[in-house]
Amino acid sequence: MKGRLARWGWSLFAWGLILLVAAPLVWMVATSLKPEDEVFSLEPALLPEEPTLEHYATLLTETGFAGYFANSATIATATTVVVVVLAVLGAFSLARLRYRGRETIASAVLLCYMLPSVVLIIPLYLMMVKLGLANTIASLVIAYTSFALPYALWLLRTFMAAIPAEIEQAALIDGASRMGAFFDVLLPQALPGIISTALFTFILAWNEYLFALVLVNADDVRPLTTGVMTMLVSGFNIEWSLLMAASVMMSVPLIIILAFLQGYLVKGFGAGAVKG
Amino acid sequence: MASIAFEGLTKRFGTTDVVRGIDLAVPSGAFLSLLGPSGCGKSTLLRMLAGLENPSEGRILFDGEVVNDVPPGRRDIAMVFQSYALYPHMTVAQNIAYPLRKRGVKRAERDAAVARVAAMLQLDALLARRPRELSGGQQQRVALGRALVRDPRIFLLDEPLSNLDATLRSLMRSELVALHRRIGRTMVYVTHDQLEAMTMSTHVAVIDGGVLQQFGSPADVYRRPANRMVAGFIGTPAMAFLDGVVAAGRLLVAGDVLSMTGAADGAVTIGVRAEDVTIGDGRIAARVSHVEAVGHETLVTLEGGFGRVTARAAADCALVPGDAVAWAARAERLHLFDHRSGVSLDAPCSPVRGPTPRDEQQDG
Repeated sequence: MKGRLARWGWSLFAWGLILLVAAPLVWMVATSLKPEDEVFSLEPALLPEEPTLEHYATLLTETGFAGYFANSATIATATTVVVVVLAVLGAFSLARLRYRGRETIASAVLLCYMLPSVVLIIPLYLMMVKLGLANTIASLVIAYTSFALPYALWLLRTFMAAIPAEIEQAALIDGASRMGAFFDVLLPQALPGIISTALFTFILAWNEYLFALVLVNADDVRPLTTGVMTMLVSGFNIEWSLLMAASVMMSVPLIIILAFLQGYLVKGFGAGAVKG
Repeated sequence: MASIAFEGLTKRFGTTDVVRGIDLAVPSGAFLSLLGPSGCGKSTLLRMLAGLENPSEGRILFDGEVVNDVPPGRRDIAMVFQSYALYPHMTVAQNIAYPLRKRGVKRAERDAAVARVAAMLQLDALLARRPRELSGGQQQRVALGRALVRDPRIFLLDEPLSNLDATLRSLMRSELVALHRRIGRTMVYVTHDQLEAMTMSTHVAVIDGGVLQQFGSPADVYRRPANRMVAGFIGTPAMAFLDGVVAAGRLLVAGDVLSMTGAADGAVTIGVRAEDVTIGDGRIAARVSHVEAVGHETLVTLEGGFGRVTARAAADCALVPGDAVAWAARAERLHLFDHRSGVSLDAPCSPVRGPTPRDEQQDG
């Protein structure tokens, strides 16, 4: 009797939590589908009475949304590729190779991550101007790499350190080169870690707002976050319907990616590498 | 097939010498056991053989050729790790085929080799499985298969049986011996289990504290231990050590004469193996402190003014703790060690002749 009550309690609690998280998302989708007059109705309804896709059409045909979307996709993909390649190689070095100053480097990397990003904005901006990269997509890729990389390095280092070195040594004895052992044995083992790192980086680059605001002020290189804000939100007016439609479309790529990679993330974690 | 030689091999980690100036050589086709307690440096020695660690000093030679700077993949060796180190994302067949794949062996040839090894190790039915779907014994066989598939000139085995249960371990022991006999390759086997070393090897190197304590045949290290460490490490139950004194050709323990000896006068440490102790017809008084019936025999521990010795007795031995007995040792099997350094004195002992000091006292 008591156990059943507790289970009910937990259930209720969990559903409450889900509601808390999901409600704004549901509201966002619902609003994006409502005609303008329903949005500002004095008796708000959860579901649209006459669902419409007009806001989506407006966004895609009459505004620069598609351009921002392309910019965001480019920036996030480029950042992810750069970060994953650098982090995998760097983490391998920090986890496996023995050299003087290795721990110092690792701590220094962590220290970088601990700096609040706000303090880096102005110096980074000045550097970009000096490099002639201000107002380019590259400047954002570099900026995002600079703060995604430390975390990625540590995540992957921990991950790789947990993979027994003996299986790489076995590969070396079996005739693999150092790189061969890395690709044949370590990389497949580290794949779940690499995917989480890529995911983390992509989401970070996709959602970033502050750096995008400061480093880029030309409309043709703006990513979604700042692009949508400057386009739809001004001091006098907020285009709620368009904003909600834009928000839905911004979320879709992340939802798709997560849905695809979730299985991958779980798979492989349970792999028993050596008998223990 | 290859002979192996170490010359002044030393390995330092920071300021710690893990392996200290080891010299030894085994002929081609030998089964060499590196035997010692955990942390004695035997695994480091094996890893240097494999090329996974670089020696700080000294040379390693295969067939008279220095291989210090040859990377692991080109040493033509195979290794079985204690943890097996199977590739978790590959099937059993892929695991076994990997060394061949890395050497550019053609697919058809590879498949044939895998099939041959799988049949030999009874892995046929498991080829499509992944390592985590196998039992410990099966994983061990896959690791062995991965080593065997290539026919290397030297096999390195790092405590490959330590994760198996007792039955499987003794089975694998005899299979490894049979395998060695069949393929005739040089094998180097690291173990802390003296039974494995004694039963499998042609050569045993006993290592302690990174130093080679003794190198010889299993019979050598058992019958003529070079020092107290080797004597105490080899043999079950462990050799008993007693404080003794040599006076005028007599070996005395707590005032009783144990045997005659050729050793010089002074304090010595006496090593007595359990099978060399006889209870009943001796002259040294003791009390039974412990009786262990092992099944086919009984181990009886005796205590007295001399210290403590263990004796092998018949299975139907009726002694119980507290019994007063007298014991003697087979004189020619006693081991004498320097009291301080523990080095074997290599002095022969012989049965007691004539009256003993205590007898004389009693006579007087």
